[in-house]
Amino acid sequence: MIEAFFETAAPRAANVVLVLEFAMGLGLLVGARLARKGSFRQHAWCQSSIVLLNLAVVAVMMIPSFRDHVLPRIPAKLGKAYYALATTHAAIGTVTELAGLYILLSAGTSVLPEKFRITKYKAWMRSVLVLWWVVLLLGMATYTRWYVPHLFRK
Amino acid sequence: MWIVGMAATAVVALGLLLAGSPKVAANTQQAATEVKIDNFSFGPVALTVPAGTTVTWINRDDMPHTVVSMDDSKTFKSKVLDTDEKFSFTFSKAGTYPYFCSIHPKMTGKVIVQ
Ligand code: HEM
Ligand SMILES: [Cu+2]
Repeated sequence: MIEAFFETAAPRAANVVLVLEFAMGLGLLVGARLARKGSFRQHAWCQSSIVLLNLAVVAVMMIPSFRDHVLPRIPAKLGKAYYALATTHAAIGTVTELAGLYILLSAGTSVLPEKFRITKYKAWMRSVLVLWWVVLLLGMATYTRWYVPHLFRK
Repeated sequence: MWIVGMAATAVVALGLLLAGSPKVAANTQQAATEVKIDNFSFGPVALTVPAGTTVTWINRDDMPHTVVSMDDSKTFKSKVLDTDEKFSFTFSKAGTYPYFCSIHPKMTGKVIVQ
């Protein structure tokens, strides 16, 4: 099982993304604890850098992959898990990353006019954390379906 | 009575054999210019053909693959081939043409043109 995991058909870039994204997911949990302990500055730094780093990973790795491998096949082949997983992941992932950026802009900067800023921070941050992990798990499911199919084969 | 059954079976088997054999011969000939993609691999991994042959790759796997030649000038390069999609290329010059799948770089094969 462990060997099967490391001996996937994945290109190196996908493995790097997988490990990086898992680390970022854990990083957000650590960051959430910082807020609970009252270290708000560190919390802000931790979560902001992860949201921005993720933006870079999504822009450089995931969007081009989505454009090349998924976009030409939908909606025609959405019935196949291969495309359905990636599409669901990308859709919720887009919402989550945008929500993360919105929190960052609202809480960390003054670029947004007053009336567009968040007031219910806790609710927003908690929801994004939960969504983030849903997206992360969907990303891992996508990876598994794309590169580790012998786990499900006949 | 059982002997009739046996005889009938033998006749049917013989008939199938006779009907089947020309088809088998045709298949092997055709297989020489076809590379099947299945289970994350190209089959045959190395294909030898005379110059001027058109080689067709067909994806029988349940996930997309590509066929991309490894030389710098990318002599041939397919689109992403989903299940049952095909790609063909005609090899006019002799030489060895290694290729790989750009989605799964560990998948490789080669065409030897004589
Ligand atoms: C919170 C945001 C996101 C997280 C945590 C996340 C996480 C992941 C993870 C862990 C993988 C598996 C590694 C891999 O296969 O490379 C993955 C793959 C993928 N993600 Fe995301 N993702 C996010 C947002 C997005 C967005 C917005 C898109 C929209 C285009 C997207 C599209 C994809 C695609 C197409 C793959 C497969 C990439 C490939 O292997 O070629 N993701 N994601
Ligand atoms: Cu492949």
